[in-house]
Amino acid sequence: MVKPVLLAVLLISGASTQLSSSDAYERYCVECHRELPTSLQRMFMRYLLVYGGEKNVKAGLKHYLKYPLKEISVMSDLFIDNYGIKQKTTLNDTQIDEVLDIYWERFKVIDKLK
Amino acid sequence: MLSDQRAMLTKYAYIQTKRLKVLHHFFDERIDYPRDLRFKSAIYDFELTRIFSLIEDENIRFHEEIYMTHKYIHLVKTLDEFYLGTKYLIIEVEDSGAWRGEIWKNIIGYGLISFLIFMLFGLYLAKLFLKPMRDSILLLDRFIKDTTHELNTPLSAILANIEMMDTDVMVEKNKRKLSRINIAAKTVSVLYKDLTYLTLEQEKTNHDEVIDIRELVYDRAEYFSSLAQSKHLEYNLDLEDATITIDRRKFTRVIDNLISNAIKYNKRHGTVGIELKERMLVIWDTGIGLNEEAIPFMFDRYIRFNNAEGGFGVGLSIVKSIVDEYDISIEVKSKEGEGTSMVLKW
Repeated sequence: MVKPVLLAVLLISGASTQLSSSDAYERYCVECHRELPTSLQRMFMRYLLVYGGEKNVKAGLKHYLKYPLKEISVMSDLFIDNYGIKQKTTLNDTQIDEVLDIYWERFKVIDKLK
Repeated sequence: MLSDQRAMLTKYAYIQTKRLKVLHHFFDERIDYPRDLRFKSAIYDFELTRIFSLIEDENIRFHEEIYMTHKYIHLVKTLDEFYLGTKYLIIEVEDSGAWRGEIWKNIIGYGLISFLIFMLFGLYLAKLFLKPMRDSILLLDRFIKDTTHELNTPLSAILANIEMMDTDVMVEKNKRKLSRINIAAKTVSVLYKDLTYLTLEQEKTNHDEVIDIRELVYDRAEYFSSLAQSKHLEYNLDLEDATITIDRRKFTRVIDNLISNAIKYNKRHGTVGIELKERMLVIWDTGIGLNEEAIPFMFDRYIRFNNAEGGFGVGLSIVKSIVDEYDISIEVKSKEGEGTSMVLKW
């Protein structure tokens, strides 16, 4: 009797964690990006093209979120001319790390190639 | 060769990079990693994390551009643009080993050619540097050859006439003069014989015979007795019966040179000793001697350690060439100021 209860608790807590994480990404990123013509997937590939590895990509993204500048943007001039530079993020470091982890996991290439 | 393999692998890396570029732009609609029958490949990111790999040998040496494991050759290509996050593209081909044989062939071939070229060049340089020395030796040889031809007749005439002269009717003063002429003529005669031996007779075939050394030594000692008397030297002869099979002409040159040296380089009132035993002949003197450093060079041609006496410095070189020819060992014991001892053993 104890075992099924414990299993249920674990499953629920896992699911709820995942839900809250997805929510963070959905809430902080997808909301605004939905209006842009370039998908988050394509932007991720641009970051990957420039920064190479997981740590580099996350560090690059984090820096840009905190200090957005035309000069360090990975997007094309045409895109920036049309849509401008994003506003400086209001998220704290923990929140940024959290959404970047989700972002990386969602679009990473590793383990997806066949 | 490995450079050919390198060129081929670089070409494959270029092809694969192009394919990665295409895949990058279509990711994640397309997720099939580009494959090629000619090679296998792997991609690693900036942090050396494997993105995808088809290669057999995963122990990648990221800091080497090209390397070989026992069965494969690997090329590590660093990308400037990280398609799919790729920093390192690894191309792997099987190593057939055929190029190694080619390399060895080339190394040996080119090595031999270079060796020959350097050898010829070295030979040319050696000849160039030695030319002045060789020229002077040739000049001296030619001079000696030409001069000796002209010496024989007058020398024979002088010696024959001295022998024929009746000394009984001579006054003492004239006898001494005649004796001096005799000594001078015999000295020149020894020199003449050495020079003709060097220039004309050396190449003649040997007529080996069993020689009674005791008799020969007596004969030659007597021949040089007038020379010895002029320096007030005394002979100390200790001669046992002994024989040797040798060309008489050559052995005479050996004895003559050793005795005449023992006389020439002796002190006045000194002793010339000749000791003959079975298979050993010692000729010693109580003369000026030589220092130890000079001994190894005393058999060299044209080397003379004392300019007070005449000669060309060819006597001992002749002795050495003859004793070497007949496997006779020659040992020199000399002490400066005390004398020299030449020991022949056969």
